[in-house]
Amino acid sequence: MLGYICKYAPVEIFESMGVDMERIEPEVTNFSQADMRMHPNVCSFAKGVLEDVLSKDYEGVILTTCCDSIRRLYDVLKAQLPDRFIYMLDTPRITKDAGIRLYEERIREMVATYEAFSGKTFDEGRFLQLLREKKAQSSEESAQEKGGLSVGIAGARANKNIKKILEERGVRVAFDLTCTGLTRKLLIEEDQVMTGYVRGLLSQFPCMRMEAAAGRDQLILKYGESADGIIYHTVQFCDNYSYEYAWLKGIIRRPLLLLETDYTKQSYGQILTRIEAFLESLGQNPKLTNKKTGGNDAMYVMGIDSGSTSTNAVIMDRNREIQAFSVVRTGAKSGQSAQKILEEVLDKAGLKREDISWIVSTGYGRVSIPFADENVTEISCHGRGAHYFNPKVRTILDIGGQDSKAIHLNEAGEVTDFVMNDKCAAGTGRFLEMIARSLEMDISELGPAALQSTEYIEITSMCSVFAESEVISLIAQNKEKADIAAGVCRSIAGKSYSLMKRVGLEPEFMMTGGVAKNPGVARAVEEKIGAKLYICPEPEIVGAVGAALYALDQIK
Amino acid sequence: MSIADRYINYVNQEVKKDPQKGWDHMVLGFSANKWRSRLLPRPGLARGYQKLEALMMSLVADSLSHKNRYVWGNIFAPCEIMECFGLSTLSIECLSCYFSGYHLEDYFIDSAQNSGIAPTLCSYHKTFVGAVESGVLRRPEYAVTTSLSCDGNLNTFRYLEKKAGVPFTFLDVPYRDDPASVDYLAGQLRELADTLSSVFGQPFDEERLRRILQVENETRRDLMTFLELEKTHFYPGEIISQLYLMMGTHLLMGTEKFRDLVKFLIEDIKTYPEFTGKRILWVHLLPFYQETLRKYFNGNPKYQVIASDIVLDYADELDESDPFRALALKTIRNIYNGSYHYKAEAIGLLAQEMDADAVIHFCHWGCKQASGGSILLKEKMKELNIPMLILDGDGIDKRNSHDGQIKTRLEAFLEILESEEHRQEETC
Repeated sequence: MLGYICKYAPVEIFESMGVDMERIEPEVTNFSQADMRMHPNVCSFAKGVLEDVLSKDYEGVILTTCCDSIRRLYDVLKAQLPDRFIYMLDTPRITKDAGIRLYEERIREMVATYEAFSGKTFDEGRFLQLLREKKAQSSEESAQEKGGLSVGIAGARANKNIKKILEERGVRVAFDLTCTGLTRKLLIEEDQVMTGYVRGLLSQFPCMRMEAAAGRDQLILKYGESADGIIYHTVQFCDNYSYEYAWLKGIIRRPLLLLETDYTKQSYGQILTRIEAFLESLGQNPKLTNKKTGGNDAMYVMGIDSGSTSTNAVIMDRNREIQAFSVVRTGAKSGQSAQKILEEVLDKAGLKREDISWIVSTGYGRVSIPFADENVTEISCHGRGAHYFNPKVRTILDIGGQDSKAIHLNEAGEVTDFVMNDKCAAGTGRFLEMIARSLEMDISELGPAALQSTEYIEITSMCSVFAESEVISLIAQNKEKADIAAGVCRSIAGKSYSLMKRVGLEPEFMMTGGVAKNPGVARAVEEKIGAKLYICPEPEIVGAVGAALYALDQIK
Repeated sequence: MSIADRYINYVNQEVKKDPQKGWDHMVLGFSANKWRSRLLPRPGLARGYQKLEALMMSLVADSLSHKNRYVWGNIFAPCEIMECFGLSTLSIECLSCYFSGYHLEDYFIDSAQNSGIAPTLCSYHKTFVGAVESGVLRRPEYAVTTSLSCDGNLNTFRYLEKKAGVPFTFLDVPYRDDPASVDYLAGQLRELADTLSSVFGQPFDEERLRRILQVENETRRDLMTFLELEKTHFYPGEIISQLYLMMGTHLLMGTEKFRDLVKFLIEDIKTYPEFTGKRILWVHLLPFYQETLRKYFNGNPKYQVIASDIVLDYADELDESDPFRALALKTIRNIYNGSYHYKAEAIGLLAQEMDADAVIHFCHWGCKQASGGSILLKEKMKELNIPMLILDGDGIDKRNSHDGQIKTRLEAFLEILESEEHRQEETC
């Protein structure tokens, strides 16, 4: 079996020689080999392929000169697996005649090399027969049904999870223009089979490495009209598609979600939250279950927000009044913290379990709350919660323990756009905890200390690990803790500003999440945006309040 | 605070308030710096490197002052063809470095990232895109880029075409080194000459291109002589001097002024004393601002960066009788093209010819093609018994390059080099 990765790979040629061809779609748990043999900053897909190929027994791999990371992947694979058929196929970026001529020549050379390697032979008649069969097969495929919420996918190659999540939620995939989603385009020219085939390969919907990609935007706009929203996918450390995203978001009239993945199994949770929140912003109702918690005449609902640092719960009555709330640290098991907070908040409200008629969970641990009736993403819940506290709010900055996000609301309090930080602790509550530890301060002291600062210190590092060592060097230079703390707060404010800017920076502004309690960060953010932040007395419970409001929808 | 620093701060603020006015002041500052570098001697820096700096300051300042005198390019764009039309090539990577002279790289990078450009992209490209996004840059008539040596080129130039309306020629450099590839690229180069001819309204003169290649061949031969002399003479440079040299061999190759400068370097270096320190071969970009690296390499008789792969990435003669094929071959055989095996062999050869005591590979943030092969290069150097250090950082964005980490790694590496020498002395 030969592995391949690229849509420009001439898969059918090998198939006509009786070779099993497998498109490599890695789903790995770590990049231990890749980090050792390449570099951590190489594209996650390329790193994933390296892990996959080193752990399986492919006869060989067909790579194309599609990008820098794949070029280096070839070099490393060639060095690691000298006895296998690791082939780099030079694929032109120009699809005019000169490109077709060169590619045909390159493909013929590859076939000859493979014949010598494997002892198999290529026969043009057999190849033509296979092309005819495949073409007939593809024209039989039926058109997609219409109706319901529809989402299109564009951007970089994507693994099956995005489509799976959409389909599981009853969303129609209007189109998939990623390299892995396109239908194969086969061109048959009876008098020049190979030339026709190569012309077909190079005339597929172009990826970003091709010269013809300049026209992609117009095609995506056209396709976009058939969908309610578009998920624009990028791969971590593959930068090529971000250009298109940056351009498209200014010209497209459909909601656009930027979704970055890294080909690890662990990223599934993050993808899920982002996609669900996007669907909610497109108007899809949160997923309902048939469970019913309390009696029909019960008067109360509960929202529970299971975050990485704290678990927060709110009990609300039919009149949207908060009856009780509670905040506890999330331990190693989110389910246990949830049980604990359930008892605590019921106790505070003087209620029993059966008095609660509907429970909505939100936050990272939302699916692990066994007693919740439904779950809604924290993005929608923060939006609703913020609107509840202050209907004038249009931009929310939520900084939690492990992620930070900016959310834009319309006048009705509906989420119209959101962005979340990447997989990096910088700019989150966890980062503040790390720094507080280095400064030998309690986390609660860091904010007030920052307000006492007299000297301007800039923390320049963007990576939390680098920033921590920068702080340690500042300590070694005998800098005042207050000044370092203020520098750290400004560093977080800088990251937050970028997020808020990406959703439009429309006033008024609200800050939620545990970090909103830190006066140093709040002041630094206010300075950066040049406006006041609205912060409610208990900024940690905004998500839980939103969840409770969703729960109220169910009993009205 | 010096007048220069005050001006830098002023421009830095002006750009953020009034981008158009800010740009005029940036260009004015470049011109002032051109005169400063020509007239004021820099103590501790070799005369030839001072002249080199002045030459590069002139290139940028003079080009930017005249809209129709230059094209935007990348570092591998064939400047020889542009020279046939009297046009300079200003590479976006180099311009980004010049913008960082006003400490604007962070502002521009944030600007690019805020518009959706990936934070993991090369910082040179982000800086340039951000400068366009912020409305600071004035646009030229045309741009030229190649697929060599990274993915960023086509994408950045395509983005600039859409955002700033600068049309461009894209040269697809094939991976393989064979006659079919040379034909393919030579055809594109010929088309480029025709396009420039119609855009700038001037006929193309192939004879002029031949003369330019003659000068280029002469310059390259002279450069080899200079490198040979650098092995034995202490010719105090700065790490930024390697970047200026790289600008010369990529943006001014084939010009008489650069040829004359290299001739001056040869004569001048002979007047300098013997070099007894460690000869370092630098691979890939140089973070010229990094405190520790400046401290150890700028004008230091103990350690000198005597060569860099980015300066001499092609070493053969060009066939003047067939200029387009010659330029195509030069680009295809560049050590940044093709497999990493080819590059590692070439760097190995350079290290041996330069009698390098050590190699430092700098992994610039966002550069996959360089970082991805760093381990393979280390294995090659191990084979050749040449110590090699891999440093991670950023050529332009200080926020991605932590000086404390670089300091520890570099000092430990230099300690190893010293102890190695002691061991050898003891065995002798």
